[in-house]
Amino acid sequence: MTLQLLISGFSLGAVYALIAVGFAIVFSIFKFSNIAHGGMISACAFIGYFFQSSFEEPPPFIVTALFTTGVGVLMALLIDTIAYRNIRKKQAPGLYYFLMSITVAILIEQILSVFFGKNLHTYAPIFSSTTFSIGGLRFSSIDTLIMVISLAILSALIFVINKTKIGLAIRTVAISPSTSQLMGINSSVVIMAVFAIAGALAGISGVLLGTKFSVYPSLGPSMMTKGFIVSVIGGLGSLGGAIVAAIALGVVEIFLTYWLGSLSTPIVLFGIMLLFLTVRPEGISGRFAKDKV
Amino acid sequence: MAGILEIRNLKVFYGVHEAVCGVDMDIAEGTITAIIGSNGAGKTTIINAISGMVKRQGEILYNGKPLSDKANRIVKDGIIQVPEGRKIFAGLTVEENLLAGAYTVKDRKEINRLLEEQYALFPRLGERKKQDAGTLSGGEQQMLAICRGLMGKPRILMLDEPSLGLAPVVVNEVFRNIVRIRDEGITVILVEQNAKKSLGICDRAYVIETGRVVLSGTGSEMLNNPEVAAAYLGSERN
Repeated sequence: MTLQLLISGFSLGAVYALIAVGFAIVFSIFKFSNIAHGGMISACAFIGYFFQSSFEEPPPFIVTALFTTGVGVLMALLIDTIAYRNIRKKQAPGLYYFLMSITVAILIEQILSVFFGKNLHTYAPIFSSTTFSIGGLRFSSIDTLIMVISLAILSALIFVINKTKIGLAIRTVAISPSTSQLMGINSSVVIMAVFAIAGALAGISGVLLGTKFSVYPSLGPSMMTKGFIVSVIGGLGSLGGAIVAAIALGVVEIFLTYWLGSLSTPIVLFGIMLLFLTVRPEGISGRFAKDKV
Repeated sequence: MAGILEIRNLKVFYGVHEAVCGVDMDIAEGTITAIIGSNGAGKTTIINAISGMVKRQGEILYNGKPLSDKANRIVKDGIIQVPEGRKIFAGLTVEENLLAGAYTVKDRKEINRLLEEQYALFPRLGERKKQDAGTLSGGEQQMLAICRGLMGKPRILMLDEPSLGLAPVVVNEVFRNIVRIRDEGITVILVEQNAKKSLGICDRAYVIETGRVVLSGTGSEMLNNPEVAAAYLGSERN
């Protein structure tokens, strides 16, 4: 039983990691909590669902996932253009970014509620059997798939951030936007890259969450809460810290739910967050976001 | 000889405050130009205006053509600033700092050649290339900041207070290297409060007071100028 719970926790944690990383990468550059990320996840979950249902025969999962990831990128760039660009131009204080992201988050959720809130929507099942077994242990097919996809995406992202030119530019802008300019780094290219990455992560998270659970307007925001916990515990803006904290949260949540039930579990989780904030506000990674992605 | 950089009636405003009030300068290719003056005189603002970091008025001709006002474009065109206080990227390794400096260089082979060049000049940076740049000493950070500037293959390198906060022996090393950079054909613009040292190595100097050029001339003219001696060289002069 323990091993199944562990896999299940890892799978859940891997999705939290996708969410938290999408959240953390925006934080590392702009130093604000992008609450709108949750709204984008919901919107992408719906878009993926409607894309899939527009075909007689549902297309392969990978097609839906890629399509929604692409839409996520476009949506993130659109939100940046409409909502954040002017604030940036005016060099307004960080509070305005935060207010704007809350506004966008609520707006998206309300739009989704009005038009699609009445029914629960579910993605077409990917696997004919919901579980498979290896050596007498039963595993959830969808959890395993989600874990594999999430870990692959996180690895690719870590590679981009640490080994490519644009990744280095993102890290330098996170440390000091003005010094990065002196290197000839075009900050608008970096900003677009960061929103594109966050949008892609929202897209894929939306499809994975929609497949695992069902699709409803507050899906993203409710998951966003967990992503938020994770990025605080991980150390705001730290990608490595967010991933470690996400996996830990997923595992802890699954075990707590098994022992205490799903009702009391959030109390304990938020208790842990409170403890972290009082005792170790810089999080697991041990440094504040200002000097590291 | 036509200057590589001609600055005409340069003005910079911070709100209503005029920080630079109509400065003219001619920078000759392959020389060291020192800009000296007291704190708050507008020296840093002048090179920030050249770098496109602040909005400017007036005209700057680079090789006879108007200079862009976009910071990233100016770096790409070969005018690179090494900022005051070094501003190395702490949290990134020494090598990553150098690679960031080579952001505008596209060819991977060329980047590797430039890296080797810096490590050959400063073996200490090579020994520490995988180390967090924030752990280097002040002098090493200054060398790193200069090398990071050189990684972008500058035609003009602008150094802002490179001797700030460094021990005297390290200051001497920094100034030796500035001369070496000039001898390699790179035009140097040096902003310094250490007037005596910078006048000693420069080919031409400008003295800035409250946003205006009040004196200019060759380094030795300035060293022997009684006004400069009284205002900037103080009792250090001998």
